[in-house]
Amino acid sequence: MSGLQNIKGVFMVVGLVGVLLFAWPSLGLIVHLPVGEQFSELYILGPGHMASDYPFNVVTGVDYLVYVGVGNHLGSSAYYEWNVKLLNWTEPLPNSTAATPSPLPRLYGYRVFLADNETREDTLTFSFSFLNVTSAENITTVGSLTINGAAYNVDKSCVWDPVYNGTYSRLLVELWLYNASQGALAYHNRFVDLILNMTAGS
Amino acid sequence: MLRCCVRFLVFCFLGLLVLMVFALQGFVVWGSSGDDAVARLGEADDALGRAFVAVSGAEDAGADVSGLLVRLNVASGLYSSAEVALQNGNYTLAVERASDCVGLADGVFGDAGVLRGMALDAAAGWWRVVIFSVVGACVFVGVLTGVWVYAKRRYSGHVLGLKPEVTG
Repeated sequence: MSGLQNIKGVFMVVGLVGVLLFAWPSLGLIVHLPVGEQFSELYILGPGHMASDYPFNVVTGVDYLVYVGVGNHLGSSAYYEWNVKLLNWTEPLPNSTAATPSPLPRLYGYRVFLADNETREDTLTFSFSFLNVTSAENITTVGSLTINGAAYNVDKSCVWDPVYNGTYSRLLVELWLYNASQGALAYHNRFVDLILNMTAGS
Repeated sequence: MLRCCVRFLVFCFLGLLVLMVFALQGFVVWGSSGDDAVARLGEADDALGRAFVAVSGAEDAGADVSGLLVRLNVASGLYSSAEVALQNGNYTLAVERASDCVGLADGVFGDAGVLRGMALDAAAGWWRVVIFSVVGACVFVGVLTGVWVYAKRRYSGHVLGLKPEVTG
């Protein structure tokens, strides 16, 4: 009777698998798998879509290209905006502890709608126009900044830094997220920045 | 008589003037001011937020909103173009792009509502899924048991029908 026992075992396995297959749609209504860690990504890539060759020594009238990437891992669709600000070396960055953005005004903003687990990269092209470079006082004044075709008068002074041997500014990118209860975009406590030396060749 | 003629001519001239203004409205694109552009961008901002809330609602109800998100990204591209145009002082283009953005976002808002309704209707039919599972599983087990009983009988009959064989 061992042959019959074997067939009985096969029938039981097939029966169990079949019942599970039929029950699967109903189980989907009842059982909800746990959601993983929820977070958003914000990053900048260089012109070759790599984390290298970032613009550093900037001169007047040259277009610089980087890619700004945003990733949504919040478990549902999200509405983001990345904002660009220009800071000199002494102006405050966003406060990560208090989750507050930089107090400086936003220059350029770009909005993206992402499905869960979707990532999107968009171009950020910028160029500077320096008003003057005062070698005596070691100050470079940025007259205007053009971002993706929009020209902004910034009139920002950048002072020579003797420690790092340069006249630095930061191109700051902040991530904002739409808050449905407030009905507005709110700072999402994520930022990245490019440090730029405003002296070379100017 | 002369006074009547003058009155008539003035009346005709004014009437003609009013008609011309109405007719020109259909053909002339009036230049937009910075205030118009800012106001229209504000409307576009509201429309994008409203559309996203509607899309989120549809997604929560179980609808596939990937197509709506693609359209919202097109609308956000228009919004960005409008902002660039406003910044560069091209107010007419800014109003045009912002208006296109509002139109697109409002379309998404409407479609999201329809999708949400369809998703809710589909979710309301959850009992059909349960009935399918229960009936399907019962029928499957019944058929399998029948096949098992039949196979067992045939096997037993086959074994009992064997004749003893003497060897050696």
